[in-house]
Amino acid sequence: MTALTINGKTVNVDTDLQTPLLWILREKLGLTGTKFGCGVASCGACTVHLDGQAIYACQTPLAAVVGKAVTTIEGLSPTGDHALQRAWIAEQVPQCGYCQSGQIMRAAALLSAISRPTRGQIVNTMSANLCRCGTYPRIVRAIERAAKGA
Amino acid sequence: MTPSAKLSRREFVRSIGFLSFAVLGNGSILLAQGEANAQEPGRLLANAWVKISRSDEVTIRFASTEMGQGVMTSLPMILAEELDADWSKVLVEQVDQDQEKTYGNPLFGGNLFTAGSESIEGYFNIMRRAGAGARRILIYTAAAAWNVPVTEVSSEPSVILHKASGRSMSFGQIAALSKIVTDVPDITDTDLKPRSTYRLIGTDPGRRDIPGKTRGETVYSIDVRVPGMVYAAQLHAPVEGETPAKVSDLEARAVQGVIDIVPLRNSIAVVANRWEVAKYARDLLKVEWTTTSSFRSANSATDLAAAATAAGELGRPATAWSTRGNVVTGLSGTGRRVVEATYTTEHVYHAQMEPLAAVASVDADGKGAEVWLGTQSQTLSIAAAAQTLQTTPDRIRFHAMQMGGGFGRRTFFARDLLSDALILSRQVKRPVKLIWTREDDVKNAWLRPAGAHKFHAALDETGKLVAWRHRVASPSILAFAWPQRWERANNLDPLVMEGTESTDYDIPDFLAEHVLMERRARVSAWRAIGWGTNCFARECFIDELAHAAGTNPVDFRRRLLNKSARGRAVLEAVVKMSNFDKPQQGRAFGLSFAGYKTTLGAGVAELSIDRQSGQIQVHRFWAAVDPGIAIHPNNLQAQIEGGIIYGLSGLLKERVTIVKGEIEQNNFYDYEVLRMNEIPEISIQIVESGAPPSGAGEIGVPMTGAAVANAVFALTGKRLRDMPFTPGRVKTLINS
Repeated sequence: MTALTINGKTVNVDTDLQTPLLWILREKLGLTGTKFGCGVASCGACTVHLDGQAIYACQTPLAAVVGKAVTTIEGLSPTGDHALQRAWIAEQVPQCGYCQSGQIMRAAALLSAISRPTRGQIVNTMSANLCRCGTYPRIVRAIERAAKGA
Repeated sequence: MTPSAKLSRREFVRSIGFLSFAVLGNGSILLAQGEANAQEPGRLLANAWVKISRSDEVTIRFASTEMGQGVMTSLPMILAEELDADWSKVLVEQVDQDQEKTYGNPLFGGNLFTAGSESIEGYFNIMRRAGAGARRILIYTAAAAWNVPVTEVSSEPSVILHKASGRSMSFGQIAALSKIVTDVPDITDTDLKPRSTYRLIGTDPGRRDIPGKTRGETVYSIDVRVPGMVYAAQLHAPVEGETPAKVSDLEARAVQGVIDIVPLRNSIAVVANRWEVAKYARDLLKVEWTTTSSFRSANSATDLAAAATAAGELGRPATAWSTRGNVVTGLSGTGRRVVEATYTTEHVYHAQMEPLAAVASVDADGKGAEVWLGTQSQTLSIAAAAQTLQTTPDRIRFHAMQMGGGFGRRTFFARDLLSDALILSRQVKRPVKLIWTREDDVKNAWLRPAGAHKFHAALDETGKLVAWRHRVASPSILAFAWPQRWERANNLDPLVMEGTESTDYDIPDFLAEHVLMERRARVSAWRAIGWGTNCFARECFIDELAHAAGTNPVDFRRRLLNKSARGRAVLEAVVKMSNFDKPQQGRAFGLSFAGYKTTLGAGVAELSIDRQSGQIQVHRFWAAVDPGIAIHPNNLQAQIEGGIIYGLSGLLKERVTIVKGEIEQNNFYDYEVLRMNEIPEISIQIVESGAPPSGAGEIGVPMTGAAVANAVFALTGKRLRDMPFTPGRVKTLINS
């Protein structure tokens, strides 16, 4: 048994320590808001926080998160209304929505590090995450909106 | 589901505590008798477009599936408009199946099929009439209750009023009345609201799916979890048509958690208690495949060269797709100057963000199943499931899941995935989730086919375009995707040829024809279908002709659009908004007029080129679009933005190459799509003509290719005629 801290709660899993965090979250814990997109850290759909830093859950083995705090989209805000989530609705960002958990988690890590990022900083950071529906312009606007409100 | 019964319009249904009625698209009334559901107090299960509860809830069903295009909001908005429902009291509900063709899209033969940007176009009248019919019943019922003439009764959102006496009832109060009047006149066109009185259509109430998508709550088929579920991974044949000749699975079977290893048609599947176990064991399989498939000789480079040759061989048989006048005499008339050019496009892959997945749970008797699938067609998927299990469609309990992107990937293909999941569930007697990895999805992609376009056009003495011949050399998509339909199609393939018609242009002698090539890869529609490639080639060639005629791209098109007021409107709008043709220093503008079916659009790109690397940077993109009527304008805008980015991604970066029948690419690291740091600033203007509303999901794509290629010409004096415009290609061109 391995004890993990996910969204502020301690959970025990009996999985191989090399198992990617992504599959622990999705299959063991039912936290399916974190998505599988590529499995090779190329798309960012699996982005979660590890001690507040944005990481690719598909490339992070269970062993690497022991003793650290994992936050997923389900734990970003207790009531689902983080400033970014509100801004995402105000700017009507998602289309298919599949990449958006990862986008919001990466944006949240950015705003934690830099409360008022420049557009260049937003674009540089967010270019790690793919969106195939083409919501990029709205993601930029939503992050700027959230940063102004923060 | 509760069985429903079609009753005469003179009857009504009132069950204890609940009342509901439903109105079909044609205005006739479908009443459904259902038992009260203890879990759903105040609701009655009905089986058509709308139901109203005593507590004022209005539930509106939508039949298209949601893949990001916003259809679960825009279709119900149309019904709510005519019903005069308070949008805040509206719930929306997916139609999962349709035994009696009650819900099908008339543009797809009454099947549940979501493709070709045809949901709004196909359902606009159906949803309007359903809403108007339901409102009429409310009005007649209230009038009877008040004993006043129906002509004195009117509505405000979710309220029916008799202004003369100051009385009113909410929709829910009317639904609770003991006497419901359903014997009402049929809805005719004149009963429908004129555009000027819309309260909801044309506003931005927000998409119903968005809040859940910001919280990770939306469940896609890859997220479905059911009790006892196990997971399956597949090892696919490396080349289409090959089958396993020899399988060594001892090592894989020994992995703890592996439940079974099952040979399927073109793959071996590993079923295990966890996904990562199935995938791990899959990678331990040792399979020798047959080597007899004719696809082993497929090579995307030589196959495309053959298509380019075939397009130019005018003696080679072709199928006429669109004909006006006589192109042979038109091209050979005296005093006419003939210009010709060849364009090519390569294979591209959908790259939808959600890898393919299906969940199936086969019944103990093996003759029925519950299935969960993100699909662009419930009808085709259910039929495929029934065929797999040798059963009838009513034994398939279907859940149409939201999709993590469609773009054409989830139309016909879905049936194979679902069929495999069903076979596996039947085999292991448990619910199975079948997942394709990204590599599986790329290696077994259904591609927009590579193709070639040969043009011959004639200019008269005044520089007017008078004759046009467009030969498209491409394999048929329809023949592969829907062979039953192809058999009676007379070689006419709309999935390849639509977009060549150019009916907005006034060209007296015109021929667009299809040179049918042998299929050398799995092929499918890709966002914008034929319009994407056909409009790219056409609008580039129009630019060439404008220069050959000694005029400019705007005036040349103005003359061609002399009979299309809608076409001129979008052209003038984009010229004005982009301040064409005044680029910044070191940059250039390119123009494209490109519609998608009955939606019209025009786009302008502004770009520069890094001459060292050959990298194109598109700085700004302007688009003007006429969708007839914009139902949900902010979402329409989002669809156009997304389409432009999708189009730019395809033309700047994307290409699938095939060697010895195998796709060379693997994942997003070698099939790269546009990232945030590569997109232009996008400006969009919606130019409503008031024509019946048409689709928005694909209109952004077709305008992109030529706008960029024509800007490259404006900047360098060199013509890019082959997509994609990779840095290597651009560098070679500008140094030539």
